[in-house]
Amino acid sequence: MSTTTTERFGPAPPPPPAFTVGWQGWPRMNLFNSWSSGILTIVLGVALFLAALGGVRWLIFSSDWAVITDRVPLYIVGTYPREYYWRPEIALLLVSGLMGMAWRTWGGPARGFAAAFGALVFVVALIPYQMDVLYRALLLAVPAAMAGGYYCAHFIPEQGRAKWFGITGAGVLIVSLLVIAGFSLPGVGSPAGLHPVTESEVGGLMLNLLLAAFGIIASLPIGIALALGRRSRLPVLKFACVAFIETIRGVPLITLLFMSRHILPLTFPENIDVSLLYLSGITITIFSSAYMAENVRGGMAAVSPQQSQAAQALGLKQWQTTLFVTLPQGLRNIIPAIVGQFISLFKDTSLVFIIGMLDLVEIGRAGLSGKIEYSDNGMEVYLFLALVFWVFTFSMAYVSRRIERTLGVGRR
Amino acid sequence: MQDDQPAANGMNMSDILQLPLEQRDDIIIYEGVHKWFGNFCVLRDVNVRIKRGEVVVVFGPSGSGKSTFLRTINRLEQHQRGRIVVDGIEMTNDIRHLDAIRRETGMVFQQFNLFPHMTALSNITLAPMRVRHMPRREAEEAAMQLLERVGIPEQAMKYPAELSGGQQQRVAIARALAMQPQIMLFDEPTSALDPEMIKEVLDVMRELAATGMTMVCVTHEMGFAREVADRMALFDEGMLLETGTPEQIFNNPQEERTKTFLDQIL
Repeated sequence: MSTTTTERFGPAPPPPPAFTVGWQGWPRMNLFNSWSSGILTIVLGVALFLAALGGVRWLIFSSDWAVITDRVPLYIVGTYPREYYWRPEIALLLVSGLMGMAWRTWGGPARGFAAAFGALVFVVALIPYQMDVLYRALLLAVPAAMAGGYYCAHFIPEQGRAKWFGITGAGVLIVSLLVIAGFSLPGVGSPAGLHPVTESEVGGLMLNLLLAAFGIIASLPIGIALALGRRSRLPVLKFACVAFIETIRGVPLITLLFMSRHILPLTFPENIDVSLLYLSGITITIFSSAYMAENVRGGMAAVSPQQSQAAQALGLKQWQTTLFVTLPQGLRNIIPAIVGQFISLFKDTSLVFIIGMLDLVEIGRAGLSGKIEYSDNGMEVYLFLALVFWVFTFSMAYVSRRIERTLGVGRR
Repeated sequence: MQDDQPAANGMNMSDILQLPLEQRDDIIIYEGVHKWFGNFCVLRDVNVRIKRGEVVVVFGPSGSGKSTFLRTINRLEQHQRGRIVVDGIEMTNDIRHLDAIRRETGMVFQQFNLFPHMTALSNITLAPMRVRHMPRREAEEAAMQLLERVGIPEQAMKYPAELSGGQQQRVAIARALAMQPQIMLFDEPTSALDPEMIKEVLDVMRELAATGMTMVCVTHEMGFAREVADRMALFDEGMLLETGTPEQIFNNPQEERTKTFLDQIL
């Protein structure tokens, strides 16, 4: 850096035109910078105002939210038996604890996400409407678990924290799934104390979140493996991966779900009954990993071949070059695409209604058609569902943007 | 050391003793090396011997095969006819020979090719830790020493994108040196740099040459060549046209082509 000169040569530069700065600058430059854009601004402004007016009038005078407030447990856990509520609660607390740990170790996006989630649960637990004290207690345990996790983060080893979180997170997810489903694994059955629940009893938002979390955590490594296989020089491996990816991508998810329910069980040995919960989770994972593989392949293709040459010149082996040099860069290139994939996976979980499972959307529909007094409340139900899905997808997008910024996407 | 124990370069002691005497001095031997890209003959009958500690500057017009020649030394490009021996190791399809040769050679690229997702320090420690299985602490100490040697220890924790071109290239040199190579290959190391940064990289190369490192540099920095090179080699149309000391090349070139090329760039 050279030293900046404070001396001024010649007269001071003229000020900018008055209409580009100050209170009138921004609207003048952005809303009314030409005749056509001015007219468009006014027309859209009026339309927006009228729409908002109608919305507010409906909200104040004619909306009736009983269809939501009367059935809160249904939306959250479906028809899960009330005496077993402690099982999803265990899963919820484990995840909350993990969030608290991430808050302390990483701060940044993890802190924002955990704080938002904790605050949301806290507010819902204290909303003044008729809700069982039991539910309020179950919800209020979430911030407590977070605080516990925050404290326990102290004991996480300094070295290899990311690996530790990856393994623990996957462990928490598997434990949650097994506890909620009451195991009911083929050949294992259910351990004492964990009464198996039927697959239609696992429902509501819990089902969407379980399937999405399982799909997200499992489809990333599988997708990476498929992408690397597709780039492989071994023709058989390459062909197998291409065949898998293109087959799965060529079939709608609904078809795959049908097949998982009606065709896949035919290939199992007799007397083996795999819960639909597991089958649908595996199907969604397989579906998502094929798309993930193509994302990863695109990201890897964008890494300059000179990078692997440099790694080879240093004596790194092929697999080391991939693991340490090209794969991290490839993945960093496609964080937005990965998160987009996760968001669409989360929304796709509502398709499991097709094989008879009661996810959040299906619970809402069942409420509308089940009771005559709710039949006019479609607006409320779908607004509520949209809001719930939006909150989750928006948080994912938010975390993604923060990760992009901390990893410096676009910086080479 | 017993006869059948492998020496550091991957050869048995007895193998080295069986080498013809002059091969023990010649660290790089090319005999009748050819290479084609498709139908295009990019290296034509290249014969050269480079001695231990020699600094060779390779130059020539673009497309003359000089970069390809350099890249066949550590087999980033594969030759298709002829014989290449690097530090007594025959270049074959044997993966062990290839690994051994890559351990003997460090390479510096025109575009630096640092790993953008790692700090300068991690760029340097990656290969020693993963290839030589050096403990992290040891590798980092060695890396800091190398960064001091190239004059930028204060940049250790920065990412490549935060460094100037000259600093990046110096990190790249440190990264190559971290594997303690016998031979350093430079592929137009200053061509992508702004003029004021060329000097800092050339200074590092000059110091490296003074330590007795064997260096093969593709470069058009003729001042550097005149001052540092023991030998210069002109490539044209895939052929090694002329070699000689800088004195001979600049003052008394044997080939007409050498004269015209030097006239063009000087």
